Amino acid sequence: MAKAILFDSTKCTACRGCQVACKQWNNLEAEETVNTGTYENPPDLSSRTWLKMRFIEPPDGDGKVWLFSRRACMHCTEAGCVKVCPTGAVYHHEEGFVAYNKDICSGCGYCVDACPFDVPRMVGSTLTGKKKMEKCVFCADRVANEEKPACVKTCPTGALIYGERTEMVDLAEQRVSKLAADGVDAQLYGKDELDGLHVLYVLAHSPKDYKLPVNPEVSPSVTLWQDILKVMGYAAVGAVAGGLLLNYMVARARMVKEKEGK
Amino acid sequence: MTNHWIDLRNSDCILIIGSNAAENHPISFKWVTAAMTRANNPAKLISVDPRFTRTSSKADIYAPIRSGTDIAFIGGMIRYILNDMQSLSRTERAEKYNLTYLTQYTNAALIIHSEFEGWKDPTHPGLFVGFTENTNPAPGNLGGYSKSKWGYADAGSPDTDAALLGNNWTNWSDLNPKCVLRLLWENYEDFTPEMVEKVTGCPQSTFEQVCEAYAATGAPGKAGTIMYAMGTTQHTYGTQNIRGYAILQLLLGNIGVAGGGINALRGTSNVQGSTDMCLLSHILPGYLSVVNHKLQTLEQYVDTVGRKGKAPVVPKGLAGDKSASWWWLSESAQNYKKYLVSLLKAWWMDNATEENDFCFNYLPKINAGQDADYTHIGTFEAVAKGIVKGMMVWGQNPAVGGPDAEGERKALEKLDWLMVTDLFETETAAFWYRDGADPGSIGTEVFLLPAACSYEKQGSISNSGRWAQWRYKALDPIGEAKSDLAIVDALVLKLKEKYAGETGPKADPINQLYWDYHTEGEYADEADPNKVALEIHGYYTKDVGDKKKGDLVTNFVSLATDGSTCSGNWLYSGMFTTDGRNKAKDRDPVDASLNQIGLYSGWSWCWPINRRIIYNRASVDLDGSPWDDIHPVIAYQEGSHNPATNTCKWLGDIADGGWSPIAVSKNDGKPAYLPFIMQNEGVAHIWGPGRAEGPLPVAYEPWESPLETNLVTGVPAQLDESPKGMPGFNDPCCYVGDLGGMNQRGRPNWEDPTNGFNCVGTTYRVSEHWQAGQMTRNHPWLIELQPQPIAEMGEELADDVGVKNGDIVKVVTARGSIEAVAVVTKRFRRMTIGDKQVDHVGVPWHWGYKGLSKGISPNGSSGNVLTPHVGDANTTIPEYKTFLCRVEKA
Amino acid sequence: MAHHEVERFSAGARLFHWTVTITAIVLAITGLFLWVPAFGSLAEDSYSRIIHRVAAVILVAAPLLFFISRPGRALHFVKYIFTWGKDDIEWLKAAPDYYFGGDEKKMPPQGEMNTGQKLWSLVAFLSVIGFVVSGAIMWFAKASIPAELFLWVTIIHDLCFIVSASMTLVHLYLGAIHPRMTESLKSMLKGKVSVEYAKHHHGKWYAEISKGKETDNKQAPSTH
Repeated sequence: MAKAILFDSTKCTACRGCQVACKQWNNLEAEETVNTGTYENPPDLSSRTWLKMRFIEPPDGDGKVWLFSRRACMHCTEAGCVKVCPTGAVYHHEEGFVAYNKDICSGCGYCVDACPFDVPRMVGSTLTGKKKMEKCVFCADRVANEEKPACVKTCPTGALIYGERTEMVDLAEQRVSKLAADGVDAQLYGKDELDGLHVLYVLAHSPKDYKLPVNPEVSPSVTLWQDILKVMGYAAVGAVAGGLLLNYMVARARMVKEKEGK
Repeated sequence: MTNHWIDLRNSDCILIIGSNAAENHPISFKWVTAAMTRANNPAKLISVDPRFTRTSSKADIYAPIRSGTDIAFIGGMIRYILNDMQSLSRTERAEKYNLTYLTQYTNAALIIHSEFEGWKDPTHPGLFVGFTENTNPAPGNLGGYSKSKWGYADAGSPDTDAALLGNNWTNWSDLNPKCVLRLLWENYEDFTPEMVEKVTGCPQSTFEQVCEAYAATGAPGKAGTIMYAMGTTQHTYGTQNIRGYAILQLLLGNIGVAGGGINALRGTSNVQGSTDMCLLSHILPGYLSVVNHKLQTLEQYVDTVGRKGKAPVVPKGLAGDKSASWWWLSESAQNYKKYLVSLLKAWWMDNATEENDFCFNYLPKINAGQDADYTHIGTFEAVAKGIVKGMMVWGQNPAVGGPDAEGERKALEKLDWLMVTDLFETETAAFWYRDGADPGSIGTEVFLLPAACSYEKQGSISNSGRWAQWRYKALDPIGEAKSDLAIVDALVLKLKEKYAGETGPKADPINQLYWDYHTEGEYADEADPNKVALEIHGYYTKDVGDKKKGDLVTNFVSLATDGSTCSGNWLYSGMFTTDGRNKAKDRDPVDASLNQIGLYSGWSWCWPINRRIIYNRASVDLDGSPWDDIHPVIAYQEGSHNPATNTCKWLGDIADGGWSPIAVSKNDGKPAYLPFIMQNEGVAHIWGPGRAEGPLPVAYEPWESPLETNLVTGVPAQLDESPKGMPGFNDPCCYVGDLGGMNQRGRPNWEDPTNGFNCVGTTYRVSEHWQAGQMTRNHPWLIELQPQPIAEMGEELADDVGVKNGDIVKVVTARGSIEAVAVVTKRFRRMTIGDKQVDHVGVPWHWGYKGLSKGISPNGSSGNVLTPHVGDANTTIPEYKTFLCRVEKA
Repeated sequence: MAHHEVERFSAGARLFHWTVTITAIVLAITGLFLWVPAFGSLAEDSYSRIIHRVAAVILVAAPLLFFISRPGRALHFVKYIFTWGKDDIEWLKAAPDYYFGGDEKKMPPQGEMNTGQKLWSLVAFLSVIGFVVSGAIMWFAKASIPAELFLWVTIIHDLCFIVSASMTLVHLYLGAIHPRMTESLKSMLKGKVSVEYAKHHHGKWYAEISKGKETDNKQAPSTH
């Protein structure tokens, strides 16, 4: 059964316990940061920051809105990264999320560009290309032992909960309708996006306000590349090989005949 | 906290004021969120703060206020409620407000001294009757009051207002002119919504929304709670701020009930425990009064603070007859004396005998105002003057956390020796080689003792909800680090060794001190916290009846005045069962409370005697039925009244005194005990004559105010009229220090903002760092989140001074300046206060010049470089939250 | 020109050819690790990428070195493969029948490279440029270009592979297997072909060199 993390932005206080718990459980080193005029830090996801909270002050607001949003792997069902991964290092776990076997990652980095959410990060040498991808792995080791992911475990307010995806969708929908009844422009993000994300969001405004893509999709070029170009490649090489074999047989037969004819 | 963390979920309206709970008490929001998202009647959340915080982001109503104007805001709320009460019909009034609670459980109906005069009296504007200015130029309080005319009309047996008790009034003039509720109205009559907006900057419409939402919790069965923290207390009138909350809560019947209360969110995990155990200078363990030098014998002390200080007051005309007056139940049950004698026995054991007054004279005596004040501010003043020559700094970092921090750093230079016990070398330990100091000319010998952290030792901590929870050691301390207890133990044993053979006032208390905490095994060479805990709980010091010497007492009820028992802290007496089970170690996750209101009484233990919500007898009506059927704290079990003892069986929480409900006792012709058993009059104090600056809070201006006149009282600022400055519009009794001539008063200068201080500065914490930063500024994961000190300011101010988001700015006050990264945000808005445009600048105070994350300026960018060495009139807690400053581009 | 043989490829040209051949094969194989899922495990730990990049550097360096050492020859080659005439059209018309064992007399006479070889060289030349440019972007600019652009660059790299791999098969076949190209492989190994082979396959070229007009142009740097 598919599992999911439900992030309820209306319950999140951006204490960032999740951000630290992620680093702690996954043994990720701290980054050296500077303050650039915001509480938000590190500035972006990286090979050692798999989860970060965004602090968003709408620029045209009245100073009475401060949105907090989670930024980490969305664990898509239609996952660009899984589609392009040549080694199967990034794959769909039987519980639905996008698991990652770092040992067999070849470091090609295709996943980085195939991700509609700009999540995977590469670490290693640019010169040699010896690299590994890094991203949220849904605490697969914890989940396998029936523990919650570390971020969920540490969340004090229940802004992050974890469970069967169907149940999470139900809870999220209930929450959205409750909020809507109170006049909030609430919505559920991730139920159908990319055939269903395994990180669901309850939002109080449009996804855009939370810096989430409104209609995320795996780029058509990924489809072109993986579903058309590759097939074309096999077809072309196959056709050429077949043609050459035919040529050999025909040419040889004719030349033998000719020789015999002489 | 009167209540506890989980209880927040039972609230109908949560008012967070003077606190940024979401950021600084993140776990509290588990329960705030639970209240706000429960299926039925979810709670409303109100956030009152100068700055739109992470707490505000979750609130239904956000009310901005100018820093330091809580009393005007709360006073306005009180006025709104009183005005509402008065204008409603009697029936509606009784539906909308819990009038039984108001009149029977508080002193609202009591009559005050006929010569009492309020602050509106033209002969002493802004002041209550009885004020005298303190003309002594030395650091100290601006002035003081004779409180003789603040008491009840008949001190022993005050009258009550019959019209109020009978809900038989329409206009204020129907009430006795000296009735508490009418005096309350007169005190706050001028705090109109217009006035609130003018003083606090909170838009009138927002303020009215707050009033309406919060006043709705006044209905019987509804509960509103107030969560406050240092934004409330750290003002020159911090105590009066809290008094304001208490009055508000009592008017609405919100004390003692589930989902109600006044909940102080403690800044560290064990602040409650440290207060309980007397880490404040005005109390002994268990809130017993510290000994004044005038009280030379045990009997004088007991007579003054116990027999006289806690003498019952019997109000006339109430349904209940009198207070149990727990501190001094009767001449035969002198609890105050029992608790003190048991404490003295715990400390001096067999050496404390009836003949030597149980070593009463070994207790240090204070001589307030004469030699030194032992509060934080007073101590540093004494250090600066060279009166105090040695100092132990324990789990504290005053070089970062103290007010006027650079002044306190300089004061440290006067010490002969300084001992710092901490996990890291702190700014305090390193003061002698800080930037600008000349190590060659500083004679202080500094000892740095490495301390174990909380995971490296066992013992109990008491959380904000008063739960004493035992924690176990997870791993051994690193290197030479030792637990605080082990360090104290070694220190005392060494002192005893050094004093051995000597006699005299210094040697005797140490030589005679009972100190025997080593046990076999792990604690063979250091004190065993389990043994210390047993002594705190208390045991028999000799055979009494069927009890043998060494048997544990049941709880504080077993303590005696004759020295037959010892207990290190009566409040914690009851933490063990008589067979030695430490209830602080209990971990029963089942909530067996009535209607599962979340008491979890089997999880750890809380004082007093595991009462999870104190004053809970106010949560039931005169018959003992809960006001709130959904969230009952206690309930009288029908028919359980025992005529012989006048007690009954209460269901639910441990009732505040086991006496039967008022109506039940009365029917039986027995004394009916009023619900607030620790108060002399048995009812709660809307009128609170014990505080320094008056029985009711009046709106004062902060020590450094951008205004020229108090907009409420009309009192002008008076800055230079007397040595410390006449009170003027400030708190008339606040404590004004003087750290070696540092200027403790900044002046606004609107004509030339480059030469004055026209912004209101405030300090606070962020989620990601903790206190003075010793632990968090040495932690890379946390530094990553908040790497540098910041100065938050609104866009209007930033535009004016030409600062952009992310620029380095300088924040300057009369004490000094710091550099920080500008965080320019709409979350701080310019306010119109009177005829002034006032901007705020907010500075987290965590940073210093040591650790992995240091400040930007060489002084560590410590926020407290900016704050003044002035303090609260009652507690001397420093004024950290409001000061004047200006911002410059660095 | 004794013993009925003529020199067709100089030692330098052959060295160049085989360097490029080996490099290209290495690149193709290491590239295929990421292309064919069954080979994916071979790409683990990035060793194949290191090899791929070393080979890529050689693939760039070899033509550059050739250009530096024999600039005239290199320019001639480039010019040659881009110069197409009537004979090429004729050749293309006649080629299918010829390569399927038809009458070789119908083939128009060819220069040092026949049209097919020119076509192959052109494909090889252009795809190397395609590989190098797209590969360089993938190597060095991954972090700095938009994801979508990167995907297109990858697609170009792969497209170059499909085209060049297909043509490589044809080239291998014609150079080493086709019953008619008996001396092609030999020529690239030893540098010489028989006079007869030269006449049949590169009539115009043979005519030129047999006139004694020995110029620097006589050897085609191209591979078959």
